[in-house]
Amino acid sequence: MTTLLKVLYGFNPLKSFLTPKPDFLEITCRSKHRILPKPKKRFPPWLIKSTRSTRYEDELTSENKTFLKQLVQEKYPRPESGYGSYSPLNLNIVESAVEWSPSYQRAGLIARKIGVYPMWMKDGRKVLTTLFQVADNHVIKYQPPETYKPMITKRKTSLPPSKGSLIIGADSADPQLFTKEYCGLFEESGVMPKRLLARFHVSPEAALQPGTPLLASHFKVGQYVDIRGKTINRGFQGVMKRWGFHGMPASHGVTKTHRRPGNIGSGGKKARVMPGTKMPGHMGNRYRVLKAQRIVRINTKYNVLWVLGSASPGECNSCVQIFDTVLPLKNCNYLKQTPYFPTYYPGRDEELPEELMVDDLHNFNDPTIMFTEDEE
Amino acid sequence: MAMSVRVRLGSQFRNIMRVCFHENRHMSTAEIVVEKSENPKEPERISLEEQQRLNDIAKNERMEKLLNMRFAYQEFLPDPNPKNRNTLKERLERRDMLARRSNVEIPEFYVGSLVAVMHSDPHAPGKNNRFMGICIQKIGAGLRASFILRNFIDGEGVEINFDMYDPTIQRIDVIRLEKRLDEELFYLRDAPPEYSTFPVDMEPEYQPEGSAVPVNEIKVPLKPLPWLVKWERMGMKGIRDVTSMLTEKRLRMSKLKQFNKPWEKYDLLKMYSETIPIEDQVEIFSEIQEKLHELEQHRYKMKRSRNFVKPTKMG
Repeated sequence: MTTLLKVLYGFNPLKSFLTPKPDFLEITCRSKHRILPKPKKRFPPWLIKSTRSTRYEDELTSENKTFLKQLVQEKYPRPESGYGSYSPLNLNIVESAVEWSPSYQRAGLIARKIGVYPMWMKDGRKVLTTLFQVADNHVIKYQPPETYKPMITKRKTSLPPSKGSLIIGADSADPQLFTKEYCGLFEESGVMPKRLLARFHVSPEAALQPGTPLLASHFKVGQYVDIRGKTINRGFQGVMKRWGFHGMPASHGVTKTHRRPGNIGSGGKKARVMPGTKMPGHMGNRYRVLKAQRIVRINTKYNVLWVLGSASPGECNSCVQIFDTVLPLKNCNYLKQTPYFPTYYPGRDEELPEELMVDDLHNFNDPTIMFTEDEE
Repeated sequence: MAMSVRVRLGSQFRNIMRVCFHENRHMSTAEIVVEKSENPKEPERISLEEQQRLNDIAKNERMEKLLNMRFAYQEFLPDPNPKNRNTLKERLERRDMLARRSNVEIPEFYVGSLVAVMHSDPHAPGKNNRFMGICIQKIGAGLRASFILRNFIDGEGVEINFDMYDPTIQRIDVIRLEKRLDEELFYLRDAPPEYSTFPVDMEPEYQPEGSAVPVNEIKVPLKPLPWLVKWERMGMKGIRDVTSMLTEKRLRMSKLKQFNKPWEKYDLLKMYSETIPIEDQVEIFSEIQEKLHELEQHRYKMKRSRNFVKPTKMG
């Protein structure tokens, strides 16, 4: 009988309502997300200490140095044209034969923001474009969803993970600069050690063989991309610069409160400062994603992307990650584009000209724009 | 470098004045004085050292010619801020600029020149518009290069800011090629209208090829106060003496040390950080020189062929 009662009590739908609750004051959070994310407890295991603290240059004789240089050159010969640095898999890349489907997620690229300059549209409009150089990208490692265990998961679901992890490296450098452990990361792919690494979540169908070079033509012109980068570090800033507050008047009896925020809380029951109130603090130096930016021009020789707009995070010559947009009304499926899947293979896909442009962008080689009167 | 660079005091002062504004990329080598060979006649036997010296002089003359391109092709020099510089971006930008120059002739003109611009305008009747005026500012590096033209039209001062590489510009005509005493002529806004009024249908004035660009040393009087800018503090050379117009206080203030900035002429790094070094200038101009020369030759040929009218048979 007691067991039956226990079971019934367990199924009681009113149980949660019947249990007494302490009377808490409900406090709303003004910001949707936390302004400063929680620091990560665990260090990513794939990110090993990269640079050596000391280099024993003095202990090497000149003969030793030339020997080491020769060794590096033998292991990583000169790059082939169009591929960036050397990859041992250049000649026999295993090309995936899977056709693109809208549910698949492709890899992204690491690029360097090299500047901003204006271009003109065919209707005479002046637009600012940001230039990104895709510097020497190679696939370093792929982990299928079964073995891939990300450190921090936002949602705990019972479903098995559907996305694998693809690690991509950029900017090759002399192996002597790095630690032994860090150089070990590149053994599987066989490429030169890279200065920059980035992780992308990809569908298992879009997985790439380690050592595959990634080019700027991974994207097509007219495609929309998201750009993730570290914003400019502006240090501790006041409320006017950080949040765009208007400040207070310069005169009319105002003293010492020209750039201050004013009131930050109210009295009564809620006599405290609400969490998420906009206040002075450290500005910038955080990762931010600029979504749905249009690629208008691609140079396949120098691997440069021209992206519309000038608001991408980070300063000039800083590195960003570029990937297919997550916005549903700007993605390839909605715009009826078929991207190169899983990436652009120079042998398999059609040969591209040096300059690719969208139709509505003016090419500087074209003659002057002339408007014609509408005949009615 | 073997080149002897001597900075004259007068030009140094002018440069410092120019620092008040932010357009000073081209002034890095203030005045380049190159040794000229004293004996043009060849002696019977030239020693090795003499040969070396002559070679150096020839090389210096070549360099001087190359570096003097910084006046006519000012916008090919990039922004000197090291934070914004990238070699690949600059090279791509230069390629785009040359591509645009192969479609439209962008002539040499300076602040103070009279320029007429014909451009496509979707809102104008006939879809074209022509504006003629005096160039009061030339600013910007690369494809951002722009200039402002000013004229009085129907008793109203009009200024238009044109982008130099805007593909809607059909033609740029230089009506009168000359320079003024200042790098920017914004004081014409505070001058009487007759100093910025020019007839729209002016005929272009031609000068013999290879002659130096004349400098118009006109001194413009200003209208009575108030002005848009405190011109007495700016050290402008093209303004007539204004001390009689100023109040006693403003006159006293203009002579204060804080507006004169006497220390700037001792700041050697200031000039370096705000300009492009000579080595970079040589690299940039030697890259574009060939293409520009080619375009010039092509244009010259086209002009000649257009002038020649084929005789027709009569009767």
